[in-house]
Order: sequence, then structure tokens, then C-alpha cells
Amino acid sequence: MSTKRPGGASFQPEVKRKRESDEFEQCYVPKFEKELPATPKIDKTGWARPAVDKDLGITKSIACQVLEVETYHEDGSATTYDRTNVKLYGVTKAGNSICVIVTDYFPHFYFQAPQGFGVEHIQTAQTAICNMVASAKRRGGSGQNQLPGKVVDNLVHIELVRGENLYYFRGADTKVPFVKVTGSTEALHKARMELRNGINLMGKGPVNVGNLYESNINDIVKFMAKTNIVGCGWIELPAGKCQILSNSEKSSRCQIEVSVNVKNLIVHESEGEWADIAPIRTLSLDIECIGRRGVFPEAIKDPIIQIANLVKIEGETEPFVRNCFVLGTCAPVVGSNIIQCVNEKVLLEKWAEFVREVDPDIITGYNILNFDLPYILDRAKVLSLPQVSHLGRQKDKGSVVRDAAISSKQMGSRVNKSIDIHGRIIFDVLQVVLRDYKLRSYTLNSVSYQFLSEQKEDVEHNIIPDLQRGDEQTRRRLAQYCLKDAYLPLRLLDKLMSIINYIEMARVTGFIMPMNLYKSWLQILSMMLRRCKQNNFFLPVIEVNSGDGEGYEGATVIDPIRGFYNEPIATLDFASLYPSIMIAHNLCYTTLLKSPQGVENEDYIRTPSGQYFATKSKRHGLLPEILEDLLVARKRAKNFMKNEKDEFKRMVYNGRQLALKISANSVYGFTGAVVGKLPCLEISQSVTAFGRKMIDMTKSEVERIYKKGALEGKCPADAKVIYGDTDSVMVKFGVENVAQAMEIGLEAAKEVSKIFTPPIKLEFEKVYFPYLLINKKRYAGLYFTKPEVHDKMDCKGLETVRRDNCPLVAKVLGVCLEKLLIERDQQSALDFAKRTISDLLCNKIDISLLIISKELTKSGDKYQAKQAHVELAARMKKRDAGSAPRLGDRVPYVFVAAAKNVPAYERAEDPTFVLQNNIPLDTKHYLTNQLAKPLARIFEPILGDRAEKILVEGEHTRVRTVVQSKVGGLAAFTKKSATCLGCKSVLPKMESENAVCKHCEPKLPEIYASRLVTMHELENHFGRLWTECQNCAKTMQDKVNCSARDCPIYYMREKVRNELSETNTIMQRFGDPCFAPPTK
Amino acid sequence: MSLQAMDSSHVALVSLKLEVGLFDTYRCDRTINLGLSLANMSKALKCANNDDTCMLKYEENEGDSIIFTFADPKRDKTQDVTVKMMDIDSEHLGIPEQDYAVVCEMPAGEFQKTCKDLSTFSDSLNITATKAGIVFTGKGDIGSSVVTYSPSSNTDDESEAVTLEVKEPVNVNFSIKYMNQFTKATALSDRVRLSLCNDVPVVVEYPIEENGFLRFYLAPKIDDEENME
Repeated sequence: MSTKRPGGASFQPEVKRKRESDEFEQCYVPKFEKELPATPKIDKTGWARPAVDKDLGITKSIACQVLEVETYHEDGSATTYDRTNVKLYGVTKAGNSICVIVTDYFPHFYFQAPQGFGVEHIQTAQTAICNMVASAKRRGGSGQNQLPGKVVDNLVHIELVRGENLYYFRGADTKVPFVKVTGSTEALHKARMELRNGINLMGKGPVNVGNLYESNINDIVKFMAKTNIVGCGWIELPAGKCQILSNSEKSSRCQIEVSVNVKNLIVHESEGEWADIAPIRTLSLDIECIGRRGVFPEAIKDPIIQIANLVKIEGETEPFVRNCFVLGTCAPVVGSNIIQCVNEKVLLEKWAEFVREVDPDIITGYNILNFDLPYILDRAKVLSLPQVSHLGRQKDKGSVVRDAAISSKQMGSRVNKSIDIHGRIIFDVLQVVLRDYKLRSYTLNSVSYQFLSEQKEDVEHNIIPDLQRGDEQTRRRLAQYCLKDAYLPLRLLDKLMSIINYIEMARVTGFIMPMNLYKSWLQILSMMLRRCKQNNFFLPVIEVNSGDGEGYEGATVIDPIRGFYNEPIATLDFASLYPSIMIAHNLCYTTLLKSPQGVENEDYIRTPSGQYFATKSKRHGLLPEILEDLLVARKRAKNFMKNEKDEFKRMVYNGRQLALKISANSVYGFTGAVVGKLPCLEISQSVTAFGRKMIDMTKSEVERIYKKGALEGKCPADAKVIYGDTDSVMVKFGVENVAQAMEIGLEAAKEVSKIFTPPIKLEFEKVYFPYLLINKKRYAGLYFTKPEVHDKMDCKGLETVRRDNCPLVAKVLGVCLEKLLIERDQQSALDFAKRTISDLLCNKIDISLLIISKELTKSGDKYQAKQAHVELAARMKKRDAGSAPRLGDRVPYVFVAAAKNVPAYERAEDPTFVLQNNIPLDTKHYLTNQLAKPLARIFEPILGDRAEKILVEGEHTRVRTVVQSKVGGLAAFTKKSATCLGCKSVLPKMESENAVCKHCEPKLPEIYASRLVTMHELENHFGRLWTECQNCAKTMQDKVNCSARDCPIYYMREKVRNELSETNTIMQRFGDPCFAPPTK
Repeated sequence: MSLQAMDSSHVALVSLKLEVGLFDTYRCDRTINLGLSLANMSKALKCANNDDTCMLKYEENEGDSIIFTFADPKRDKTQDVTVKMMDIDSEHLGIPEQDYAVVCEMPAGEFQKTCKDLSTFSDSLNITATKAGIVFTGKGDIGSSVVTYSPSSNTDDESEAVTLEVKEPVNVNFSIKYMNQFTKATALSDRVRLSLCNDVPVVVEYPIEENGFLRFYLAPKIDDEENME
């Protein structure tokens, strides 16, 4: 703990605060029994789904889009046996919700038939396994000691099939007998255990069957692979071949519930008519709860006061239901239905009724997964309202919240809640954004600003109680916030097209949507399984050794020849490099050879990393086939997109081609995932090795062909590859303009492609001109795809795109690069950099530009070394536990000035605290540790080695402003002595009331005027900022309550407010203005 | 001429005053504020030899620099060093004079040694002063060190005496790191004066030849732990 930190004084109010909160607790939930009836009047128009066509299933077939899949166990009886049924939830074209119960599907697994196992052993084996499972079941003691004989005999079924292990090529046709075991999930699980110990399969004593196949794969994945159902795809139930369940038989709350035999299910490819998307209902919600001061709301104590809901149909622009359940009276909000509830119990019950009535397919919102929904369910428990937890479509099952730890390389590890609301998909916008975008801040406010250029009024938790306790107008204000918070996630989904993209992803990979959010490897697994099924390959269960496994060499980087190139640089790219390598060289699990057989390059190839794979003449690999299909499908989707006129359908196709691209690229990663389900490092090693070799080949080939005078003299100089990385090379052809570079580039791409095995192809895509090559993976250039105008400025690896530094760096770099590359004015770029540095030292830079944010992933003691944001979070918690960042939040901080050798982690401070207390920033730190290096890097190629010195020590660094802190050891004791407003000299005691010293007196009017101008400027500025905030909050008459910690305007407003009050005091020293001539 | 600076965490303040009497010649037409980077000024001062005379010159019309002229009368050598000024926009802070409960004078070297000794044990220095004497305590994990001075009875050698004026007893804590930095000024003066009061910054003053002083103010250390209760 730092004892020299002078912030101690701020802890003192602690005692007082406690007393305040005691009083507060007694009255923080106002009562409304007098004003409101016990049950609110509710206008339910538009809530219900369209009525169901009575002929469906009888004379008309039922088509529906499958959104959710779940399995459930059905115990056997004297007439039936144990089975695992599948429930599909979906929507019909007419917008009716449907639940399809698929019967007679049984999960399976395989094992290789033991030596000598023949058809004659099937009965023996089946009986043996059934008995073992039955006794295991009895041991389990679920009270079913008496199992009907029919159930026991049919616990599992086995049959003989021919197939092959997915791994290794053993010869052209080496299908061997496998035993396929089917049964209920539970029975299979027990059978697996028993098989591991050995079972007497052939009546000759226990047999060990070795490795099992496909037993570790999720039932839902297996079911979908078997039936070819894809997530969000369409299925059809032929009329008369399905059984419509009456209301009393229904197990679900869907409008239609139907049971069908797995054999009668028709599955449609997602094309043509079936590429459409059903009218899916999306509910977006947000809750407000009232908290006690200094504590984040806890479900055990703090009630929910409002729930805002918007319901929308996918593809339409505006929601058709907007309402807000409010505790207490509330003035009406235009366009929204306000439902006033007398107490929290009524509020929650009516809300749950609303959810069941409106029957949404997707539930969305911002952070609903980890906050809103668990909070509602917890409150329901606290108030003992069991009905409220029944939000799903399953009549007999309430929703439960569980903790689920998720860890992946892509997202790091985090703990999420997992909630099952049966039959509905929880699609949390925060999770989507977290997964798909790298941002500095993930608050709803900053995400909306990022994508919608729209903000909301961000109200601190501790204002909410005041608004709730106020009158119907203040509660109306709260309702507006709440509605806005529910509206923004919908807008974000629309803008990011997340739902459509995820639907398409599900269709491409065949997996249901919610899982897509987390597990990309499952998608590949699902594709593999489908493909393997057709070819009778079985996926072995691979024991995952979570150790740090062997690594392998990644992609290659050609050493860059650094510099500022004021000439066109052509870029040659390999199109879909890794997928095309796998296709070209037939790299697959099924073609991998343990040792070379036959003739090299005819029967097998040796990859640059020393592995052997069979050639296509021996066997087509599965992975290459999958990849080829994906690439073809993508091309087709792109074509559809081009020809499609309907905007919505175009979006769908675009989502699909993106999904296909992502999937194709993740196949390589799947084989390299050591902890994945099917790791095969031989493949991933070979892929990268080929990639490295190809980059080197391209370099030497380009430099060999395009010598000076090549192409009938079109090449003015020898071509030189100045840089290359993973899948692209940058070539300097020595030409003068972009058009020439493009001509040679196109030619080169065509020519050099010839040395590679198709479909590997070099593509010429772009020309950089000028091009600033700073280092490996760090460069910037002006990007041309057509000779006339540039498309954009492209920066890679520069601080403009990274998040571990303050926005100022990105901003300055961005502008400097623009000046260098677009305007080509080196001097003005340098001037700009200097001016910014000077502003920084004079404290003129906006604090929002200096904020660095880091995610708080673990609590302090779990980190090895002390880290700034962790320490700060701990300090903030002491100050005010309610507003302090919690785990998973990004903590914004700035560096404040401190004594020498004080470690950085003690210098971090909360920006709002800094503003309020006028704490000086460590401008020097920002200059030397943040700005200097990146700026020097871009200026070095131009100014030479002295760049950094020029920037950090030049003339412009000699004007500084020193800020006096309001907290700190001495702050309480020092007294400001009056200084002359003209020359800053200290005024003698006698004259301390005066504005200026004797010497400056003649200049008094001038000084007054300039100060007045400053004040007017500040007033003006403040007025503009205030207006901006009013506009953003859409309140013209009320005070702005916003304190959004990642809104630049909030910080500006606070800063200007401080400055303005200071300037006001200064102005008072001039006294009242008068026109009387000086008395002297 | 006076000079003032505060450390960036606002815990300590240094104030140097050189009265006109200290200078051979001194001319200043009006009160004027000059901004200098300490690092750059010390670069200039390092050019001087021990017996040099130093002249500081600033002309209002001659732009933004100060000229340090070092003259070596023995060799008839002069050296001009020009240092560019900085435009520092800051508030001028002063600590008002006040009545201190305890004023203690002691040999500067003695104080330096005490601080140095205690700093090996602790990073916080406790000073307790009563009529009976003044006690410096440094307590740390490895042990502690306590130095006690009783007011000297034999006043033979004035420069060696420890004098103590106590109006009321004082007990205060300071960061010893800062104290050690202050005692670097020991070379300036034989004596050091500590002025103390409870919950008020300590003043460590080194007089300069009757005609000036170097004063350090240090805020008392606030223990976070105490405050949490």
C-alpha cells in the first residue's frame, strides 16, 4: 500500500456516508398503493403472433426454420424403450412458433470390431452390453431397480458397418468392420464406461475394444449431421406424416407442437426459396434497478424498478412493440406504452406474462446474459415468484442461471453466466461485440458511438434512486433512458447485421446459432462430421493433453528494407493462401502417411516440413474437398449477391459469403489446435512450411524475371522485393506512376502464378504510393486499386490501430501520416507533431485523449506483477465501491505526476477524479513513453536518427503549464499569492487586490481585453458542449445528468467548467468595469 | 532573488531566498518572473569552478535567455553560458508564516547523519519533541533506530549545540526519502533549523550567511490505514 499517496483526505466522509445510507435504505422504495390499482391495465394489441392455419399438418405440409435444438430423455415403459428425443424449435413462414418433436432418432458411437467379430456375435454382444448398462443403471440407484425386460433388451442396439479411422492413409480401400452402438444418451454414456473396462462381447471372456469413435461429440451435432439439418435452415413436415398435438398434450408454449418420425423429416438446402429468413421475433430488453449508495445493485436486496421492451421482426426496420414496465406512476412517453405497476411483484409477473405472450425467438439486449436476465431470475427467487422464471417455451421447466467458464485463444478466458430459456436464443449484443470487434471501451455508450455515431445519456447509478423517488416526470425520464438502452442494442444488431451473419454462419457450418457465439471449432467439427458420414470415416476420440504441446514454426516474414518510398510499390497477394495450399497439395487427415510408400511426387509428396501425404491420384482428401466446396459456395454466394435486387436478401448473401470465408480460413487453425477435438500438427506444420517456401519462391521469381528492360523495356529498373509477410510481397518495380505499377503488377501476378500448383494463385490487388516501411509488420501507405485516386490510407501495426496506448498517439500519428502520405508535406507533418507536443506540455490536450484503458480480468493478487489498472481499481473501490470497475470491465486511467522513481502502477488515476481535483498529469511520461517512440519511428525515415531528439527537445517544448493539484500533502497548507496578470510577478502584500503590478499598469486595458476574450471563448465553448450534451440526451429543459466515462465531450465539459470558474475569479480581480479615467 | 519549486506530487516545496546583501552587485528594476528548467540551469552551473564569480544577466529586450557569466579573476578568463528560458504558466504558492510549536536548531551535519541512519531502517521518520528533548525514530521490519537529543546544557561551542524551544509537545511523521534529499543542502550551512507543529508541514531551514536561506517544506505523512477507520 502506498502511504505517500496524498489522496488520504478523500476517505474521510466514509462515516457520514454510512449513516446516510441507513436512512436511505428505509425509504428508497416509495409506495404507490394509493395512486395505482392492484393490477395494471395493459393494452395488449400486437403482442400475440398471427393465428395458426388449421389445415397445417393435416392437408398442408409444415415448413419451418429451425432455430434451437435440444434433446431430452424419455424413460422406457413396458411397451416402449429408453430413448433420447430431439426437440426443434422454429418459426414458420407465417410467423407461427413451432416445436417439432423428432422421434426414433438414436445417438451412436463406434468402435473397431475386435478380431474375429462377425455377424453371428451381434446378438451376444448386444445382450452383454445391455446387461452391463442395466446393472450400471441399477447401481446408479435412480429408484428404477425394476426395469421392464423390454427396456433392458433394448437399451442399446448394435450393428456392423464398414468404415475407417479418419487419421492416416493406409491404402486405397481399407474399410474395416466397425461396431456401431446406438441407444439413448444415458445408455451410451454407461456403455462407454463399461466398454472401457472390457465386456464379454463374443462369449469368450472380456474383450478390450480400444479407442472409441465419435463418442465425445455432442448429441445435437451428431443429430444434425445425421439428418443434414443445419442451424437456421428450413425443414418440412409432410402433411399426414406428422402428428399435431392438442393443447392439453403440448409440452411447450409454442403455437404448434408436432411430433414426427425422423424418417419423415424433409430437409431443404438453404437456397432459392429456402434461403429466406422467417419472420423471427427479437425482443430487446433492459432493466433498471435501484441501488444503495456506494454499492452496485445486488439482486438479494435491490428491487427492479423498470423493464423496457422492444419487439421487432427480423428484416423490418422499426420495432412493433415498445413498452416499459414501470414501478410507480410515470408520465406517458410518446410512441411507447407505459405500464404502471403498483409494486415490484406485479411488475415482474406482468412482464413475464408479456414475454410468454409475445413469444420472442431471440432475446437480446446489452449484457443481458451476465446482468439483466440473471438479475430478473434472482429477484424472482428472492420474491418467491416461480412464474417469473418461466420465460422459455417449455411448460414444465423454468430458467436457471449457471456459471460457465469459457476460454479460447481468441477471447481469453472469462466467466459468463449460462442461462437456458428453452426454445429461445439469448443473443447478447455485448458478447457479439466482444467477440467480433477490438475496441477501447465496451460500454453501450461507446459502442453505439463507434457504430451508430449516436450516444445516450449515461447516468451514474447513484442518480437513479433520486429519479425514482421524484415524481412521475422524473420517472418518465428514467423510462426514457431505459427504453433507449433497449433500443440501442436493436439498432446495433441492425447496423452490424449480426443476426443475419450468425444465421448464415449457422447455415454454412450446419451448427445452431447460439453455440456459434463461442465455439468456432465446433463449426469445423460439424462440417467434418457431415463429410465423414458420407465417406464412412469415423472420428476417433483423442485424449487431449492440455500441456503446452509442441509448437511449430509460423509464417515467414521477409526482412524489410526500411524507408520512405516516394514511388509506387506493387503488392502481390496469395488469394486464400492456407485453404488453397491444403487443396493444392491434398493435405488432409486421410492422406497423411506414417512413412512414404511408392514413388515420390507420384504416389506421395514430401512437404517442406518433412511430412508425407498421399497424392490425389491415391485419394482425395476430405479437408481439400470441404475447402473446395466452401470456396465454390462463396463464389456462388457472391454471384447471387451481385444479381439479387432485394436489399434484405443481398445482406443475407453477403453474410453468407463472409461466413464461408471465415470458415475456410479457420480449417487450418482447427488442425493446429492442440487442445481441440481433432488436432493434426502434421497438417498445420506443412501448411505454414509451404507458405514460407512460396513467399521465398515468389521473391526470387519476381526479381529474376523483371530485370531492367524486361517486358519490352517497360521495366525501368531491376525489380526489388522490399518486404513480404505471410501471404503477400511488396515489390518495387522502379516505375514512376501508379498505372505503370499496376500494369507490371498484373503481368507479374499472372506470370509468377505459373510456378505454383493450382488453385494457388498470386493476385495483384493494390499499389502503395507513397509507402512508409517502418519495420516488420509495421507500415503505412496510400492504397490504390485504380490508377486515378487512392482508396484509403492503410496502416498496419502502427499505433493508430492498437489499443494499448492513449488515443492521442493514434490521433497524432493518423494526422501526421495523412500529411506525409496524402498531402506529401513533410514540414507540415513535423509542425503538427511539434504543435501537439507543445499543447501536451501546456496542458491543452483534452484529457479524453490521454486515457488508456485495460480490461480488469482478474483481481489484483492473481496478477504476477502489479499493474496500473488493477491497483487503480482497488483504490477506486475504497473511494466509492458502487462506481468502481468490476471484473471484466475495462478500466480507464491516466498517468498523473508523481515523485521520481514512483512506479507507474501508482501513478495511474481515474480521469474523473483527476478532473475534479485538478491533479497534474504526467505530461513528461506521455511525451517520452507514449508519443516519442511512435512518432520517431515514422519520422526517422525522413529526418534520420535525430528525429526523436528534435521532437522531444526542440524549441516547442519550452512553454509549459504547471497545474496545481487540489489534493496532495501540501495543498491544504499553501496559499496562493496574487501574481500580476500581465507579467506573472508576485504582487506585494499591499497590492494583492490589484489585477496587475505597477509596471504593467499602462497595459491594463489590453490585459483586461485579452482576459475577457479568453473568458468569452470559454463561455462559448461551454455553451456549445452543453448544447451537444442536451441534444444527445434529447432534453432541453432539464439538467444534463450524463457522466459517460468514455465520452470525450463529458471530459471536455468538466474541464471547461473548471477553467471557466477559475477565469471568473480572475475577472473579478479587475473589479467592476468603469469608464472613469485612471485616478492618477 | 528568490526561487521556488514544488515536487510534482505536491508533497514538498523548496524555497530559496538570496537577499541583496549576498551579491557583490545587484540590480533589478522591477519584480520579474523568470522560468528555467532546473536540469538546464544545473548544466550551466556545472561549468563553473569553485572560486569563480558568477554573474546572472537578463535583459528584457534580449529575447528569452539568461546569461550566466563565470569569471576566473586569477586567469582573467570569462565564460558565458546562455540558457534558454521556459515560459512556465503556474500559480505562485506560498506557505504563510506561522507560529510553530517547536523550533529546534542543531548542527546540519548531525541532522544529516540522523536521517541517513534512520533511513536504513525505515522509510518513515517520526519526530517527537517535548521540553525534555527531541526524539527521532525510524521503525522498520528489521529493527528500529531511535536518536534522542537533550537540549545542550554546555553552550561553549555554539555551533555544536542543540537548542530547543517548545511551546507544546509535537509528534509528527514524515517520509524519510524527502528528508534525505533535503539534507543534501548541508554543505550550505553549519546549522539547520526545524520548525514543527502537529499536522502542519515541517520547515527545514538552512540559513545562508545571514543573508538568505534555503527552506524545505514537507507535508506530514498521512497513514492510509489510520484514515480508513
